[in-house]
Amino acid sequence: MKQIIAIIKNEKAEETKAALKLLGIKGATFLHVTGRGMPEGVSPARSLSEERPTPFRGEGKDSLPVPRDAAPSPAPKTKPGTGSFLPQRMLIIVANDGDVPSVIETLVAANQTGHHGDGKIFVCPMISAIRVRNGEQGDSALT
Amino acid sequence: MKMIWAVIRPEYAQRVIDALEKTGISAMTRLNVTGHGSETGLMAGLVNYSEIPKEMLMIVLPDIDVARAVRIISAVAKTWQKENPGHGAVGDGKIFITYVDDAYTVRTAEKRKNSAGLPATTGPPA
Repeated sequence: MKQIIAIIKNEKAEETKAALKLLGIKGATFLHVTGRGMPEGVSPARSLSEERPTPFRGEGKDSLPVPRDAAPSPAPKTKPGTGSFLPQRMLIIVANDGDVPSVIETLVAANQTGHHGDGKIFVCPMISAIRVRNGEQGDSALT
Repeated sequence: MKMIWAVIRPEYAQRVIDALEKTGISAMTRLNVTGHGSETGLMAGLVNYSEIPKEMLMIVLPDIDVARAVRIISAVAKTWQKENPGHGAVGDGKIFITYVDDAYTVRTAEKRKNSAGLPATTGPPA
């Protein structure tokens, strides 16, 4: 039995839930956390402007119209590297050993954008699981 | 590779994070939690407050850095007692360490190697 702890972006949480449902993973715990990664990662300002340019420049369909000659607002100057803690989602899944590769594959597929800050997945050993409802133990408590 | 779950006082969290960052440990996750230790919370008169706010830090480190991180956390998160220096107080927190079998970076879908470039050594003794 393994415990899979994944730290993912908030906006990818729904997508991840749908992907896990397709895979047949019934139980998962989601936590709202804040976190930061390694210093070579990207600063918050840069990652936002790289990945979601439209909402900031007002070019999206849903946003208010902006004049053509309006200069894009300069990105806030923040030091790259060890910056502030950003809101993220922590996802905890306990799965049988055999399911672990497919769960990791699914998590990566749902969350990968290729930019810094996509998240991390940790696989930890878990000794046992007990269903509170009837005291069932071990692998059968997971399904 | 090991995972550290440190439950500390929220008012000491920033100090601990800064101290860890000075030694190069900057990647971590913070959780706001509530709970109590073996003292079963605080008694105010007849009322028992059993859910005391704490801050939880989750840090995954190569085996070689774990002792250093634990030393820093336990030194910085300790309450200073005037009459009993160096002993801390009830409620200063706990540090838990667990094994990590594998770590993946979502961006590259690669298994994480530790800072020495070696494969992550882990897992409970068989």
